[in-house]
Amino acid sequence: MKKNLFLGDEAIAQGALDAGISGVYSYPGTPSTEITEYIQNAPTAKERKIHTHWCTNEKTALEAALGMSYAGKRSLSCMKHVGLNVAADAFMNAAMSGINGGMIIISADDPSMHSSQNEQDNRVYGNFAMIPMLEPSNQQEAYDMIYDGFDLSERLGYPILLRITTRLAHSRSGVVTRQGKDMKSLSYPEDGRQRFILLPAIARRRFKTLIAKQEEFIKTSEESPYNKYFDAPDKKLGIITSGIGFNYLSENFPDGFKNPVLKIAQYPLPRKMVKRLADECDEILVIEEGFPVIESELKGLPGYGLKIHGRLDGTFDRDGELNPDLVSKALGISVKQIYEIPPVVEMRPPALCQGCGHRDMYEALNEVLKEYENPKVFSDIGCYTLGALPPFRAIDTCIDMGASVTMAKGASDAGCFPAVAVIGDSTFTHSGMTGLLDCVNENSNVVIVISDNETTAMTGGQDSAGTGRIESICQGIGVDPAHIRVVVPLKKNFEEMKNVIREEINYPGVSVVIPRRECIQTLKRKKKK
Amino acid sequence: MKTDIILSGVGGQGILSIAAVIGEAALEEGLFMKQAEVHGMSQRGGDVQSNLRISDKPIASDLIPVGGANLIISLEPMESLRYLPYLKADGWLVTNSEPFVNIPNYPDMDKVNAELDKLPHKVVLDVEKIAKELGSPRAANIVMLGAATPFIGIEYNKIQDGIRRIFGRKGDEIVDMNLNALAAGYDVAKKYL
Repeated sequence: MKKNLFLGDEAIAQGALDAGISGVYSYPGTPSTEITEYIQNAPTAKERKIHTHWCTNEKTALEAALGMSYAGKRSLSCMKHVGLNVAADAFMNAAMSGINGGMIIISADDPSMHSSQNEQDNRVYGNFAMIPMLEPSNQQEAYDMIYDGFDLSERLGYPILLRITTRLAHSRSGVVTRQGKDMKSLSYPEDGRQRFILLPAIARRRFKTLIAKQEEFIKTSEESPYNKYFDAPDKKLGIITSGIGFNYLSENFPDGFKNPVLKIAQYPLPRKMVKRLADECDEILVIEEGFPVIESELKGLPGYGLKIHGRLDGTFDRDGELNPDLVSKALGISVKQIYEIPPVVEMRPPALCQGCGHRDMYEALNEVLKEYENPKVFSDIGCYTLGALPPFRAIDTCIDMGASVTMAKGASDAGCFPAVAVIGDSTFTHSGMTGLLDCVNENSNVVIVISDNETTAMTGGQDSAGTGRIESICQGIGVDPAHIRVVVPLKKNFEEMKNVIREEINYPGVSVVIPRRECIQTLKRKKKK
Repeated sequence: MKTDIILSGVGGQGILSIAAVIGEAALEEGLFMKQAEVHGMSQRGGDVQSNLRISDKPIASDLIPVGGANLIISLEPMESLRYLPYLKADGWLVTNSEPFVNIPNYPDMDKVNAELDKLPHKVVLDVEKIAKELGSPRAANIVMLGAATPFIGIEYNKIQDGIRRIFGRKGDEIVDMNLNALAAGYDVAKKYL
């Protein structure tokens, strides 16, 4: 059987193509981006006219995916863990309506925060919404779970959340693919108005239905081929593990497990399998990547009197990614480290590229802000967040997508001057526009710097939703055109940039300054072609 | 057969192109492989690494355990030292000798070299210089791959085939350039054996 060398992300993408999706709806975010990119570049997607265009944000993405499902077709929506916060309203309520065509939402979580501002575990969201979840351990499982997951979604009538973490998303391995399925044709749900109009009277019924469905979801987990029980002789300890944790456990036992192991790959937890392990073993060790989701649920089961070890009792740290060594230590297996990192090795943090327009923007902004007593710069999520590091040290905050604009407004309301927001073009259209409307409606004294590199740069240069239209969007929102100022961030324009920034800081109202120069990474790639 | 390799360097240096050739050769040999990469923020000039595992048996973990790596391949000397805790006692370190200085506190090279000198099994070479002498400065990564080839556990001619398959669509000239780069790196490493 021919094996394809796939990233976890690519295995998901190929699985979705082979399952006959009609559309993928996503906003880029590490470590989820490569799923949608793979589908965009797949010949099948072009032949079948599958929807692959990037969405403006995760909420618009998930809603569009639900719309496609409503119309009877299979849809996929991919995002990083914090993206699901943006899409949470749609996500929670899609669990109330249920679906028509199969629908899978991918959450790519980032424990240890390789490229993120938190390490939330979105299995919590799956439990919150009370929908079934899948959690693969390897690339082949990721492919198979997606391939079969759309059938499961349609059989149960609910969307499914599939959770991966960075290590699986960005690790390659051989994957065997299966026969591609046909796409579904247009068909509306017969009971559509009784499900998709969440007026209180209908929503109450829908919630009762969702509660009643839980038994079926659990039964499905118990019958799932992905939840596996490995019996072994030493019952002093039973191990429950999931996702990438299973790999680290297996690494420590190349010749087979010594203790019984329950591998969880489909949620809600398979009660009978958990009970068997709990009944047969004296103590339980939980090895899970992320939050103590399984561990907390076990502790909540009354009457077992079990000793449970995991992230809550300090066996593992509460935070951070797992690795084979942390799992070895938890199992009492010694790690054979020979060499230390020599003290001569220095940290090498990431930095803005040489020649990047954000650099020129920050240099000018820093120079002008020196003229004021207590300036504050509210920044946002993107390459320009690296303006926090030397030599710039130019920003004061970075919280979530779009927060630069609204935090600058709130601080300005409190009396902060100058209150400057720094946001990228893609982040601005993702969720900065609505905040700008708040500023306009109250004529807040803020300067919004939209550092426009005409792409979504941090995730590798995806299309940016507002390219070529940033000024007209700001005008449409109601910013005075006299205070929408475009500059080209280059050394030779340094004085002009400083003058523009200074003038707009001194204007008592909403100003937008747009330093615009193409990302040098996308420019380089274009030149290569 | 089982070889665990850590590839390291600075974002943008192109460690993944080395991994791609080894991976191609391994799959063609019918071996199992797993390769964990770093994407995202660190790619902006930060330290980057990739864990590449190849074996004739299925591989469990995507990450190499501490003290488990047979080989460190690094495009940057200080970065090669960052991953020493992963190296086996008898493991090999193959590194580029020329520093990539993009931080103000980059250590004195004498100190870096002194640490490299302490290691029993190492190959230290200036891959950029060798690539330039060959007239193909862009093939420095493949010079590095050549210097690492004796320690990968895949035969030299299979690595050559991997290069032919990966660069084949770019034409014979590019293939030959990379094969020459591979040979030049391999010649340096042979002196250390």
